[in-house]
Amino acid sequence: MLLVSLLLFFMVEYGRGDVTIKILGIESTQAQRDSYRNQLGLNQSPLVRYFTWLAGNDWWLKDRVGRPLVTVYNPQTKEPEWWVRGNAGELLRWQMDGGDLFELVRQEDGSSIQRPAPDDIWTTDANGIPEFWGLNNNNSAVRWIRGEGATIQVRTKAGFREEGDSPVEFIPLSKGLIRGDPGESLRTGRPVSASLPGRIQKTGVLAMLAFIVVMPLALLFGVIAGINEGRWTDRIISITGLALTATPEFVTGVVLILVFGIWLKWLPAVSVFFSDQSILELLSSWDSAKILVLPVITLTAVELGYVARMTRTSMVEVMNSSYVRTAIIKGMPYSRVVLRHAVRNALIAPITVIMLHVNWLVGGIVIVEVVFGYPGLGTYIYDSAIFGDFNAIEAAAMVTVAIAVITRIIGDVAYVLLNPRIRYA
Amino acid sequence: MAVAEQTTSVAAVGSTSAWRRYGQNALIILDSRVGTIGLAIVLFWFFLALLSMVWTPYPPNASQFEQNLWPNATNWLGTDHLGRDLLSRLMTGAQVILIKTRLPGGIAIPGGVAIWGVFGSLVLGVAMGLTAGYYGGWTDQIIMQILDALIAFPRIILYLVVIAALGQGDWVVIIAITVTGAPGVARLARSLALDIKNRDYVLAAQTRGESAFYIMFREILPNARGPLLVDAMLRIGYAIFAIATLGFLGIGLPPPDPDWGNMVNEARSYIFNNPYAVLWPSLAIATLVIGLNLFADGLNEETSRYQR
Repeated sequence: MLLVSLLLFFMVEYGRGDVTIKILGIESTQAQRDSYRNQLGLNQSPLVRYFTWLAGNDWWLKDRVGRPLVTVYNPQTKEPEWWVRGNAGELLRWQMDGGDLFELVRQEDGSSIQRPAPDDIWTTDANGIPEFWGLNNNNSAVRWIRGEGATIQVRTKAGFREEGDSPVEFIPLSKGLIRGDPGESLRTGRPVSASLPGRIQKTGVLAMLAFIVVMPLALLFGVIAGINEGRWTDRIISITGLALTATPEFVTGVVLILVFGIWLKWLPAVSVFFSDQSILELLSSWDSAKILVLPVITLTAVELGYVARMTRTSMVEVMNSSYVRTAIIKGMPYSRVVLRHAVRNALIAPITVIMLHVNWLVGGIVIVEVVFGYPGLGTYIYDSAIFGDFNAIEAAAMVTVAIAVITRIIGDVAYVLLNPRIRYA
Repeated sequence: MAVAEQTTSVAAVGSTSAWRRYGQNALIILDSRVGTIGLAIVLFWFFLALLSMVWTPYPPNASQFEQNLWPNATNWLGTDHLGRDLLSRLMTGAQVILIKTRLPGGIAIPGGVAIWGVFGSLVLGVAMGLTAGYYGGWTDQIIMQILDALIAFPRIILYLVVIAALGQGDWVVIIAITVTGAPGVARLARSLALDIKNRDYVLAAQTRGESAFYIMFREILPNARGPLLVDAMLRIGYAIFAIATLGFLGIGLPPPDPDWGNMVNEARSYIFNNPYAVLWPSLAIATLVIGLNLFADGLNEETSRYQR
């Protein structure tokens, strides 16, 4: 996992190009880009940024600021914020106004009151310039220079605004991925951790439903094809399975939309969620839950063929083995031979492979979600990747990698449980 | 049959006519019905792609007809949302996948994007897999760790990252396919190398004092080529699938040449008026992938029969 994270980070790092161009648009000037890059803390070395991303930077910035850094939940934005705990236990941030530094003291309701900063906070650096490391309103640790507010370009909804009284150096604070803080999304300006859980939940439900539909069907078809090897049932199942596997997800999805959504008008063609509708509310009634039907069928179609073919191969092998022949010859009922002797042994391989196949499923989910506009992890990854939103891609990709690793372990365990010949001490 | 095949190949070794031997080995695919069907489908698309180099019914990028026509006598498969002939576009779309790659600077080299991509992953994967399998120990450990890390990524994310990194272009798609395919090839090559390196002829070569490079590529690789070839055929199928998917997401092969996945994506908005514009490229992708799968199945059947 560590290696994966390293690989991922540096691929995205060198791969994304200049993200500020994507955010600010191709029309932005070099000065605007430089200023914005500085505000995002992108001027630090990649290695520092990697460790920040992984393990956070509050534990060393604490020494630089000189006082403890704490995160407080803001009741208004419902997002965590960074504050400095002052000597008297109050929570502080700083703001410069007309060259003078002010302390912002946090109140209970999340707002703050302003008061002049005391003189003794300034320290002198190696060149004799009075400086101070504090926190700004944007959750960054920043360096102020006394009496000299720098000019930066601030991005607003309306465009760019030049703003004086700014710090000269920015380091966005982060707790790091392993402590549950993947940073802020550049695309939405919100913490990734705020949008990711809902996305994962929605995708999880989709994948789970598809899994529940696929597994029994695929295993059933695979077994039926396997015991009828070479006969027409087998041919039909194999060829259909191959056709389904070879058809890309988006084709299946578009065809289903065409048939069920447009011609027959039985089911909704896109998956529209109300703004903060949770997946549980969605599942509570059929009217809202039916938007899930087409995505689930699409995923099912793609997975079905693969798993059924896998099961068939395994079943054929088992049916040709000597112990099955023995069982048939000794006069056991055929159904009993199949159910008791063959199926159990034939399912070992498919179940392991299915678990390894989850990576493929994730790829399928990305496409299916894009086709149906389903607001899950897949569309999140896709949108972030198109935008170059590295914090979001990295966090989402790490989630998928974690899922892949966990399912692989589950696959190994299932293999051991199902196959009595393998016993790890 | 099997015996006869064996004797001819032994005789051919003596006569140093390696190409004839390969030719005869290639013909065994016709013994398998499934393989023959697959080969026919693949050759059909190759033929269309080649034909489109010299002749298409109409220019593939010219909007010279009415928009969203259904199949008719002039436009056999209909037209798309810009009034371009679908049959011409479909034929030209096969070019980039199968028989030509456009490099920066306006040069085109023979061999499609899917084929070069698989070739790339084969070269990279075989080199890594053989090294890991032959040397074993630490080398093996390190290479396999890196490969496992790559395998843990969902492919689509690797594609997205590579394309976000390098921009659009045929060669970028080739690199994306290479990077995603290489770990799988390497695992296969490694397991084959682990098996083959204990054979007598490898030990003989070691006793002769041959270099590791010679043993890996002249002794082990030729004896591992059967499974690798079958794997490569399947991989070309996956590669076409991947190219189509990328095209659908709008980040695949760049214009002006039509791309099947992108054709589906564009036609998707007009599906009410003209479902055929979605249907034909979809069918094209599906049949080509199925053809390659069948071909690989047949190849697998036949090569493993002779190995037994």
